[in-house]
Amino acid sequence: MKKPWHRANPSLLAKLEEDLRGPYPDLRVVVENECVHIRGSFPIFSDGLALDRYQIDVSIPNDFPDAVPTLREIGGRVPWDSNRHVNPNGQACGEACPVVPEEWLLNPKRDSILSFLNGPVRDFFLAQSLVEAGDPWPFSWRAHGFDGLYQAYGELLGTTDRACIRRYLEYLSKERIKGHWECPCGSGSKLRNCHLNEVRALQSKIPTNVAKQALQRLGQGQA
Amino acid sequence: MDNDKYLAAVLDSQNLPEDSTELEQLRAHRAEVDALLKREFGKAHIRYGGSKAKGTLIRDAYDLDIICYFDQDDADAGKTLKDIFGHVQAVLAKQYVVQPKTSSLRLRGKDTSTLGQDFHIDVVPGRYVDASNGDCFIYQNSGEKERLKTNLDVHIQHVKDSGVLDAIRLLKLWKVRRSLRIKQFAFDLLVIKLLKEKKSASLAAQLRHVWQELWDAAGPLPVEDPANPSGNDLSKVLDAATWSELASAARNTLDSIEWFGWEQVYGPIAKISAEDRTERLRAAAATVVTPTKAWCSNA
Repeated sequence: MKKPWHRANPSLLAKLEEDLRGPYPDLRVVVENECVHIRGSFPIFSDGLALDRYQIDVSIPNDFPDAVPTLREIGGRVPWDSNRHVNPNGQACGEACPVVPEEWLLNPKRDSILSFLNGPVRDFFLAQSLVEAGDPWPFSWRAHGFDGLYQAYGELLGTTDRACIRRYLEYLSKERIKGHWECPCGSGSKLRNCHLNEVRALQSKIPTNVAKQALQRLGQGQA
Repeated sequence: MDNDKYLAAVLDSQNLPEDSTELEQLRAHRAEVDALLKREFGKAHIRYGGSKAKGTLIRDAYDLDIICYFDQDDADAGKTLKDIFGHVQAVLAKQYVVQPKTSSLRLRGKDTSTLGQDFHIDVVPGRYVDASNGDCFIYQNSGEKERLKTNLDVHIQHVKDSGVLDAIRLLKLWKVRRSLRIKQFAFDLLVIKLLKEKKSASLAAQLRHVWQELWDAAGPLPVEDPANPSGNDLSKVLDAATWSELASAARNTLDSIEWFGWEQVYGPIAKISAEDRTERLRAAAATVVTPTKAWCSNA
């Protein structure tokens, strides 16, 4: 089994603490049950002023950066409401969802926790503060549940046909793609005679592990 | 601005005026809880404690303890402390999401618009030891002992009379912002103990002293519960892991002051109106070039 990133390279933990110290002095790095968490008060800074603050817990998965950190607002300020992009039910109660995980995994800066904090986390809480002030959510968002996943994967793959999205993801989750396979576009032609070049181009954009995770997430909806 | 003026400004920014939205909401929730408890347990003694009663309230973490104590011979809510705790929990669960803590019940919203929202209220069920209605037994759902003797008035008075309320508030803010897990009650006692001989020192000197002591001590310093010095063993609350967390945060804070100055600890202070703040938030949102699209896994 692969060692957790903070065990494989303990200096990364010290570097994480050092990276946070300047921009986020209230965030602490805590290792609990072999999992690294970032905990404390997250400020929304603008022009040197903290316009608002949220108590957060970011759990960094052991296979980071190949998996997405989990964000929780632990101050009990944001209601567990899907319209506020917080999971209302089940074990993930109170889990904030600032981004479709696979979309983040395609971000070239995903291996930096600071990028996660400065990007999805800041956007998320900035929007929460504006909603609290009576404004609408200031950014566009994904539809709830599986509709949002198909939206996100569809944009990546350039189609809205759900069956087609799944076929593309299946091909992209393979280590090798063969020209005699049926084209995922649904034309019935062989891949080599249809969208092979497009699939190859997608392969360079969407790594197999991300396609596998996307398929797994969609599979949960069919279970 | 000198350090003490800066710290005074931090304290000022943490005041919650009586007409603030936060306190108005807190009072509204308190009235609801009060009514519910009185309806279900007519003979219960309902009182209020928490940071507001102690004078240690801060904007970042304001809370109210609603004490629900029963007479020594009142068995309406249950025969044992465990029964009482369970019964009060069941009653509150009709209206709230109830999060049981060691001796209290934290209330969160239950309806769609407030689901999971923290109401900043802890309900503490208990039973008076005797007819004098002073000392009380409360239930403990973890640890070795199932019951703990305590006294609300003694606790409130101990903190109120400490002479170091400003330092307690600032250190509470420091603790809360870093999500340090030490219980606030034990932390208050620790700060009071560490500042016993430093009451006349400047605020900056008091804070530095506390952090230095936390960092220098080889292990947890013993603190006594003023309401039950021999019976309430706080060593479990202030164990080695908790102490190590405090010590490490204290060291980082002292380093931050040394390298960057006090603003690194509590942030820059500027008074802005709610309208100005919203405008600034809108402006900040408008500068986000490629915002991430939030998504909720629950349909």
